Amino acid sequence: MGKGRPFLEVFTCALNEDYWFPILELLVLLCALWTFFSAGIAGVSASYSDFITVEAFTHNLVFSFTWPLIVMVGIPIVKNIAYGLGSDLEKGIIQTLFSYPLTRGYILTARLLSALVIPLLLFLGISIFGLFLFFPDVIAANPGTVALTYAAQLSPVLLTAGLLLLLALRLRRGVPTVLTGLTLCFILFVIFDSIADSIAWGTGSDWILKIYAVITPNLALQEYYLGTLGVSSRNWVPNFSEVLLYVSAGYSLVAVIFTIGYVYFKRWLRI
Amino acid sequence: MRWITLLGRTGTVLLMVGLALIVVWAPPASSPHQSSSSGSMPAEQYKIVHSGVYRSQTGFEISVESSESVRVYLLGLSSLELEDWRTQVRAAYPDLDDMWIKLFTVPLIFVREAYPDLDDPQIEDVTDIVWNVSILDKGLQTHPEIVVWQSPPTRTLSYEFFPADVLAVTVVVANPSSSNATVRTKIRHLAALAPRDRAILPALLLISIGIALAVPWLILRKVKKRTL
Repeated sequence: MGKGRPFLEVFTCALNEDYWFPILELLVLLCALWTFFSAGIAGVSASYSDFITVEAFTHNLVFSFTWPLIVMVGIPIVKNIAYGLGSDLEKGIIQTLFSYPLTRGYILTARLLSALVIPLLLFLGISIFGLFLFFPDVIAANPGTVALTYAAQLSPVLLTAGLLLLLALRLRRGVPTVLTGLTLCFILFVIFDSIADSIAWGTGSDWILKIYAVITPNLALQEYYLGTLGVSSRNWVPNFSEVLLYVSAGYSLVAVIFTIGYVYFKRWLRI
Repeated sequence: MRWITLLGRTGTVLLMVGLALIVVWAPPASSPHQSSSSGSMPAEQYKIVHSGVYRSQTGFEISVESSESVRVYLLGLSSLELEDWRTQVRAAYPDLDDMWIKLFTVPLIFVREAYPDLDDPQIEDVTDIVWNVSILDKGLQTHPEIVVWQSPPTRTLSYEFFPADVLAVTVVVANPSSSNATVRTKIRHLAALAPRDRAILPALLLISIGIALAVPWLILRKVKKRTL
């Protein structure tokens, strides 16, 4: 027997545990309704005339109706990784999975496939389908801008998922991982955001914004496009190469965190 | 069983996306505002009753009532083509007011092609030529590709129009008869949440595939529950 069958077994178990019928379906319905309604309203009212460049218009269009979707799919990601994995470690379900003829790496991959990749696939599938349906000409004309906007928006989601994974592995309990994870997210994406803005505004220096742009590369992308429109309120306007650098740095950070998570799960997790 | 579960859940997900699309597509197009005009139209003349840029989600309904049989044309140009035509008109009539050029790009192109020697000072004095039905017919013979829709000769009509893509639309009413006509036109602007023709096919496809994938899983689930 190869590794495919046990892997599928673990993955389906995780899927059933993470998404009780019809929770996944309701989430998809909500995401799809939001996407189509907001794209529909944007399709009736959006106008190029407010934007100097088509790229800025495309970025704004993609950003404006995908960020609420990210919040929507962020809920199952937090629930599945922080609470789901934490509870599985707490209740000994992971120990049971270790009896399968699979390496620990495969078990974690099956778990993350269900907890993280499925919501991300739903997000990408629904939003890209919506974009192509409602704005085929805009999307076909600027695939690079669309891809970069998605990449910049997904980087903080993956970073959060990676941090939650580390927390779940370290704390090995569901509820404390959720509470600590949410506090960490609040500090990173709300408090740090305000502090970075205040320091940048107070000192006139942009170094703190540059650090924050590694965590949320969308800041750099947004400032780049706002800069092209001349309406940026911040004192930092990166150029396009810098934007690419921050997106790459964001994903490098994500890669490092997930590598630590995998190494910890494979070698140091004692249960 | 595992594969049936996976395919079944994929099916229910596709079904939900399809249903969401139907929910957005189903409401009838709303009408934010409308405009109407009424007046006499000389014999063998035509006029522009409406023009505007429309997308796949914005359209209009035109209603016409006339004392004589008239023909209605919807002429569509892409933004690039329209700009190209305006550039040609500006080059042909450099002293002509830009507002005229923007409002009457299509008739001015038709006149320029029919009377290449007509120059600026004459153009505002020769409205009989500009708005003559023969000029319109000749122009449409030269550019049949811009006719998005045309009505047969009629006294009353109502037509709803949504373009497939972004289109600058000019609505023309022509009176080919030899007597004056009293023409009343009403334009009702329409806005739809989902593109009218693009949304329905994907929605039906998603629902069909979703049902096909989900039914075996749902049946198996029910049987399994009953046996337990």
